Amino acid sequence: MVTTRVNHKWGMIVDLNKCTGCQACVVACQAENNVPINTKQAFLEKRAYEWIRIERYWEGEYPNIKARFMPVLCQHCENAPCEPVCPVFATYHTDEGLNVQLYNRCVGTRYCINNCPYQVRFFNFWHPTWPERFHNQLNPDVTVRTRGITEKCTFCLQRLRRGELKVERQAGGRLDDQKLHQGNYAPACSQACPTNALMFGDQNDPESQIRPYFDDVNAHNIHHEDERETRGYLLLEELNVKPNVVYLKKVEQFPPGDGQGNV
Amino acid sequence: MKLTRRNFLAWAGLSAIGAVACDVFQESELGTQSPVQLPEDLVKGRDNWYSTLCRQCPSNEGILVRVMEGRAKKVQGNPLYPVNLGKQSARCDGGLQALYHPDRIAGPMRRVNGQLEPIEWSTALDWLKHYLNDRGDGLALITQPQRGHLGMIAGRFAEAFGGRYLGFEALDQGTYRAAVKNVFGQDLLPDFDLGNANRILSFGADFLSTWVSPTRWSVGYGQFRDHLEGIHIHVDPRFSLTAANADRWLPIQPGMEGYLALSMAQVIVSEGLQAPGVDTNALTGGASLNSFSPEQVGPSLGLPEGILHGKSPAEFVRDLARDFAQNGPSIAFGGDSAAAHTNGLFNLEAIYALNYLVGSVGQKGGVKFNPGSPLPDLPASAQVGTLSDWAGLVDDLRGGGTRLVLVHQADPVHGLPASLGLRSAMAQQDVILVSFSSFLDETSSVADLILPDRVYLEDWGDDIPEPGPGYQVLGMQQPVVNPLSDLDPRSFPDILLSLSQELGRDGILPWTSMQGALRASSDALFAMDRGSVSGATADEFWNNLLRQGGWWDQSEIGPSVRAPDGLLSRIAAKGAAPDYSGVASDFHLVPFAHNTLLDGRNAHLPWAQAAPDPLTTVTWQTWVDISEARARQMGLREGDIVRIESSRDVIMALVYPNPAMPPNVVGVPLGQGRQSGSGYASDRDSRESSNVLGLLDLREVDGSGGLAWASHRVRVVPTGQSMRISKFEGSYPAREIGLTSGEEVFKTVGGAGH
Repeated sequence: MVTTRVNHKWGMIVDLNKCTGCQACVVACQAENNVPINTKQAFLEKRAYEWIRIERYWEGEYPNIKARFMPVLCQHCENAPCEPVCPVFATYHTDEGLNVQLYNRCVGTRYCINNCPYQVRFFNFWHPTWPERFHNQLNPDVTVRTRGITEKCTFCLQRLRRGELKVERQAGGRLDDQKLHQGNYAPACSQACPTNALMFGDQNDPESQIRPYFDDVNAHNIHHEDERETRGYLLLEELNVKPNVVYLKKVEQFPPGDGQGNV
Repeated sequence: MKLTRRNFLAWAGLSAIGAVACDVFQESELGTQSPVQLPEDLVKGRDNWYSTLCRQCPSNEGILVRVMEGRAKKVQGNPLYPVNLGKQSARCDGGLQALYHPDRIAGPMRRVNGQLEPIEWSTALDWLKHYLNDRGDGLALITQPQRGHLGMIAGRFAEAFGGRYLGFEALDQGTYRAAVKNVFGQDLLPDFDLGNANRILSFGADFLSTWVSPTRWSVGYGQFRDHLEGIHIHVDPRFSLTAANADRWLPIQPGMEGYLALSMAQVIVSEGLQAPGVDTNALTGGASLNSFSPEQVGPSLGLPEGILHGKSPAEFVRDLARDFAQNGPSIAFGGDSAAAHTNGLFNLEAIYALNYLVGSVGQKGGVKFNPGSPLPDLPASAQVGTLSDWAGLVDDLRGGGTRLVLVHQADPVHGLPASLGLRSAMAQQDVILVSFSSFLDETSSVADLILPDRVYLEDWGDDIPEPGPGYQVLGMQQPVVNPLSDLDPRSFPDILLSLSQELGRDGILPWTSMQGALRASSDALFAMDRGSVSGATADEFWNNLLRQGGWWDQSEIGPSVRAPDGLLSRIAAKGAAPDYSGVASDFHLVPFAHNTLLDGRNAHLPWAQAAPDPLTTVTWQTWVDISEARARQMGLREGDIVRIESSRDVIMALVYPNPAMPPNVVGVPLGQGRQSGSGYASDRDSRESSNVLGLLDLREVDGSGGLAWASHRVRVVPTGQSMRISKFEGSYPAREIGLTSGEEVFKTVGGAGH
């Protein structure tokens, strides 16, 4: 069944003041999206699949040291560098702001992976395998990617389609006159996040909790960053790829090595 | 038509207009958006979502499970369940892998000539009946900590045979429980209103990762971070995930947490900073706390100069206390390594008593207490064995007082210090060990009889969460799928109930099945006519109860608590320095529960193994966190294999030079070191997968009987061997084809760390 569409522009807020680095989003994503099991060998070869990953940065020196956590996932860029380089149009931008990979078109050139500044695309060098019993858990809404295919975060597109269907059913008609409000749909990472550091929503919805951050970032580009009223910024903003993910700066009560020491 | 110059120009013009027009009309076809539907665009079939409980960690969160065509597909937090409010931990999804695990025990097995052989259920149950008749008196029944009906049934079953029932947790909360009892007079663990706090002061407890109810604390922590002026300070000898998230981390000398807390109390009392209405004279009993003044205590806390920023330790502690007292709501709590020293009970009592001084007991942004069970006889708290209980069991096994041990889903052989000798005591000829585990582990692999239980997604159950949210809750667990056709597990509580009836011990176990017991409780709740579930009939109430995932009543809140007179002076009288054991070395060993494997209970789940440790990003292996500077001094590099030697044993681990570790502390995670069962848990050798609990002495926490698992000193000895660490951070060293002179065509580019 194919659902109808309405005018959305999806986006995510990553609040670094709330992310504790707990990995709940990482595992939830893997369970939802049939991401292959990351074996020990995969980590040794630096080929672990994590559509969303938690980067950990050390800052300062003992004892004034901090560990910073930053969830990084596909930024679903408006000017996505991965899109124009695909010779077969396997990666494209939907009219809802999603950067999506068409697995049955992908021929595995890996140009998109090379061109992605965020390193969030993954190439299947091998056919993914699971023990037979684990096949029972695989999500029937998500394609298992074969060898030779690039895969990536889709903002859980399949959950969006189910959300639309749910709204249609509740409204008793087509979706055209219905908005898919926040709460009907959340990607697995955002749903799992215990501290609510990953907020998902519709940039076109004036009621959305993410809207003010996008408005602020869009109104004050990188040349007027100082004028922003929120903690919002874009990852690698200088590249002008126009991500649909806004990061909120961590609030630092005691910057490392500030020399104040006041508590 | 004759082609003239005029005709040619006319046709050329028309063609150009046509091309432009077509371009306009077919604009969408020239875009890059694919007209092809992704498989993800199609919605196939209808899914059902069932509410139940997660059992991947002791907090038993409320979950929704997505089921399609009889197969469980996804686990999500239940938004209605008051404990986790729709959120989940990195462990919850692992339940799906437990359910469909290739290494699940398919059916009953009995040990014959040293080998486990499959047998029929009827034969297996006959053997169990025989054992119970022959040697059931004085039996020992061991489960994971269980509340609700399973805790009640297991306890009564053991009682019917004159035996003992012990809940097993590797890093037991016995000392924490004792401190809560002594300071607040409560038998149930309290809730912390982190979301409304302005100052959070935590000691040792890694509450954002593994301690007690981490998802609940994380939900509150997210709310705490919403108001940006809140400050969290974490006191811990080890740089834990919680320390990493705190605004300030205070690396204290191990075991000195209580001295810091009591010193802060002294400042608050002596400077009159207590909250309005707090009677400090009653709290201190008129006694002076001056022997704990910052000037007396400060230098012994071991706080490194770098965090003092030019202040003396005394000035630093004084400022800490002032800030804590004057910027409420403030809350102080502690656990984990702070509780696991010989003076752990003193440490925790001193920490929790701070809440009285700042007026946060029972208040918004403070410590909230929980009411008891909504139904009589239904335990709201798990019965958990202390070190002395386990030592008593070993003695009884050796002395012949206990000749039958029943173990359900717990792995005490792996989780108790090897020096206790539980494995050899259970392996005696005259002792029969019956396991109800779904998987082989260190305990079930030495069992004489294995009766595989259903995984929780296939079985009935319930839970009274501990800690609760401050009001009465009864969570319901229902089977969301049936076992696969090639598996033949049976429900553990159903076996206990049917056996007790067959053997005539059913006086206190009147139910025929767990479902029947739960239904009886549902009817009792229906008759009470209060709480979150409604229904015109008992059947409708039961259905709504299952649909909602439990019952709760926000009007039935916990008790008010008043400070016991003389509390601070009594705590001060217990003040004692930590007594370290082990070898002559300046390295303190701080074991800690792994973020996803916990104490090893999830070691067979690939998602849990492959989820990077949040700080080191290590996966699948045992590492030792050692100060980067110390490692450099010792000539150790990442991946070097070291021997960690205690007075009891030696383990090996891979070095992770950690820039945040204090120079005198090494941290080693629990969870690995399994030698039996699933290959996911046991296919690595002892150089990269070891059990840190093997190093521990049998030392008790004074006053609580808990295991003092953080009180050891160890030696770290290089072996000269090394191995690559399986970790997420960093990048693979790339090879750059250069155009440099000479033969340097290839050069290696160092991997940039995150």
